[in-house]
Amino acid sequence: MSELALIVENLSFRYRDRQGAAIHNISFAANAGEILLIAGASGCGKTTLIRAINGLIPRSYKGELTGRVLIQGENTVEMKLSTISQKVGTVLQDPERQILGTKVLNEVAFGLENLGLPRQEIFQRVDEALAHLKIQHLRGRDTFLLSGGEKQKVALAGVLAMHPSILLLDEPLASLDPASAAETLDAVRALADEGMTVLMVEHRVEDVLRIRPERVLYMSEGQIRYLGDVKGLSQVVNYREVKLPAEDILERAKHDPAPAQIKVLPGAAASPSNYEALVKFENVAFGYEADKEVLHGINLEIRRGDVIAVLGPNGSGKTTFVKHAIGLLKPKSGRVLVNGKDTKESSVAEIANTLGYVFQSPSHMLFAPTVREELAFGPTNLKHPKDEIEKEVKEALRIVNLSDKEQDPPLALSFGQQKRVSIAAILAMRSRILVMDEPTAGQDYQNYMNFMDSILQLPGFEAILFITHDVDLAVIYANRVLLVADGQLMADGSPHETLRDFNRLQACRVIPSSLLSLNVKRFGETGRFMRAEALAHV
Amino acid sequence: MLVAWRYRKRENSFIQSFDPRAWLIFYICVLFSTLSFWDVRFLLPFFFLAWFVLLTSGVKWHEIRRAFIFIIGFIFIFAFLTFLTGRGGTEVYEQEHLLKKLEASFTILGWRPALDITVERIFFGLAQFVRVFSLGILTVLIPYSLDPALYGITFRGLGLPDKIAYAMDLTMRFIPTFGRDFQLTMDAQKARGYELEKIQGGLFEQVRKLGPLMVPVTIHAIIGSEDIIDAMDLRAFGVGPRTWLQQLTYQKRDRILIGVGVAILIVTIVVSMFGLGQFWVPPALLALVS
Repeated sequence: MSELALIVENLSFRYRDRQGAAIHNISFAANAGEILLIAGASGCGKTTLIRAINGLIPRSYKGELTGRVLIQGENTVEMKLSTISQKVGTVLQDPERQILGTKVLNEVAFGLENLGLPRQEIFQRVDEALAHLKIQHLRGRDTFLLSGGEKQKVALAGVLAMHPSILLLDEPLASLDPASAAETLDAVRALADEGMTVLMVEHRVEDVLRIRPERVLYMSEGQIRYLGDVKGLSQVVNYREVKLPAEDILERAKHDPAPAQIKVLPGAAASPSNYEALVKFENVAFGYEADKEVLHGINLEIRRGDVIAVLGPNGSGKTTFVKHAIGLLKPKSGRVLVNGKDTKESSVAEIANTLGYVFQSPSHMLFAPTVREELAFGPTNLKHPKDEIEKEVKEALRIVNLSDKEQDPPLALSFGQQKRVSIAAILAMRSRILVMDEPTAGQDYQNYMNFMDSILQLPGFEAILFITHDVDLAVIYANRVLLVADGQLMADGSPHETLRDFNRLQACRVIPSSLLSLNVKRFGETGRFMRAEALAHV
Repeated sequence: MLVAWRYRKRENSFIQSFDPRAWLIFYICVLFSTLSFWDVRFLLPFFFLAWFVLLTSGVKWHEIRRAFIFIIGFIFIFAFLTFLTGRGGTEVYEQEHLLKKLEASFTILGWRPALDITVERIFFGLAQFVRVFSLGILTVLIPYSLDPALYGITFRGLGLPDKIAYAMDLTMRFIPTFGRDFQLTMDAQKARGYELEKIQGGLFEQVRKLGPLMVPVTIHAIIGSEDIIDAMDLRAFGVGPRTWLQQLTYQKRDRILIGVGVAILIVTIVVSMFGLGQFWVPPALLALVS
């Protein structure tokens, strides 16, 4: 029987400036060598629990704390943060903000430098940590130029160098493509197998299940709803809240009513010529530097009624491709036609009448004091008549169901509402094609599925294109999939045509999900790809 | 990429052959010395020094072209405007000797534009150009020559406390991130028809119209700073004296450079105490005008 590395007893916490406890009466223990997956919807208290264990609560985040956290029998309230940091290592969600050194060497050494260790010992520990994660080759590199997966491993190395016995991971996969996520997960499994206690907060439950976590802790409204083995989880949780393996959903959903069919792109269906090309790429090539091409010979058309998912690993050229469609980048050779006109002869503002681009994070675009002004910004730039703008704003708000928020500051809304405001801002411009970069980023499973359901049913758009790492979004929502790798279009076709070849997917660093496997298996029966709840009723 | 590091290791670079601390001390000595003089004869050695450092820096013309042309253009316009208006010069000279008076053949609301070309204005403009140019070149070479990874230890080595010295490191680390966020916001707003180049109106109106760029960038920086602070706290930043991984060691040549810098500063102070190096015009030119 392994010793108890961590004991949490009756832990409750209320942030000083908020009403109600963020976590309430949490009690559990974790063994050495165990991976404990912590799942739950946004706002369920997962991050607060992590902060209470790593000591940021109550030191950096003030409020009312009751109960206690024991690390190897020692109460954290009586420990200095510097002592806790040598026992508990934390990797945060966004490695970009967690990495503090300009060079990998400095980053991994940061904590050890702060502890004032001798230089020789620091070098030794840094090299050990890098070797442990098999990233010695990154030692001299600039941290800013690393890929997302590399950054996450470097952040992990910086924590491991401090020799913690407990590792806390707060949504470590959020910004990674599936292949990088799989590599990170494998590294975490290896650490647990060597005796480290790992607590991992993650929405992507299905991905984590692949590395066989010993137990799962499921939270809701600040409380523990389930603590036990993985097998029991699917019996307890709401499969609409947490993403479970498709087979489990299938089993559970059989007993529920069949999900309602969604009417995709009602705006496009009303159009007389469904196959007209709105955007056309003709042999497009591009490079940011003169001697380095990142997009090679892209040929495709975007037509009315298309719901296109663009899949591919980080750095494959997906965003560069999309930026060509909206005119932010102009091809080095070949041409892009929007409504028959070469983008080289159009301004981005002109193209915005046809293509509206919603960036990953709404905080990159929201600025106005009220939602109404935020929505009027685009149409005003496009010189729409004033009375038209009034109508467009009202209509867009009605469609995204935010009419009651017209006078609210957009930055004061919840993340999900901010996302809807950013979509409404594009709707108000009367753009015909909605382009989204990682539409589900920053949202939990239930929220993003509801979000996608409602976006696809919006009457304002004739086509939708979205970049995603989530294969299941392509399976469920797309009627066409583009597979991009190394700046090339590796496949373009229906989800079944593009996604059934698993070898090709793996060559493009796309990892097939259980839902995809199930859909491929049952395609003969269904004739199309669908969500697991729908498959349960076929 | 909006922000890219200009530094790279350059072989045979004179400036990079020194310890960054030695170079910064030398730079500060030269800075104060240059600013002490208005006499072109005293300023010329600093002017030649700046050219020497530039030409031996190993920085290629294509790398520095834009910055160089911007500095030259800015200083030239600045010095030329001073020459045209005579503003600023009256603090260093009391009397002007007229070489030529140019008058426009037209009047504007009864006022006839005129330009007094005086010996003092010419030499004041020249001194200003030489001063600012010398300092501009030495300053602009710093980001090309100082390794961003060494900013923290350099300032620590110059006697700043750990926290302030690390703040320099952290600034260097997050400048590219800030630049990337700025570019993302710029792209997001452009995609909504926002055209920065078409901003019109008075100063306040123009600042107001920068809101769509500045507000998201600022908000994003504030949101991100919470993670940065957490990350620092979680790895024991500020709990005691820290070890700096990189070590800087003064070599003989570094000590010589510091000695030369300090000597220049001392000579400057002594010379200034004797009233030398102040504004000067060639007496022969004055005699000619008289």
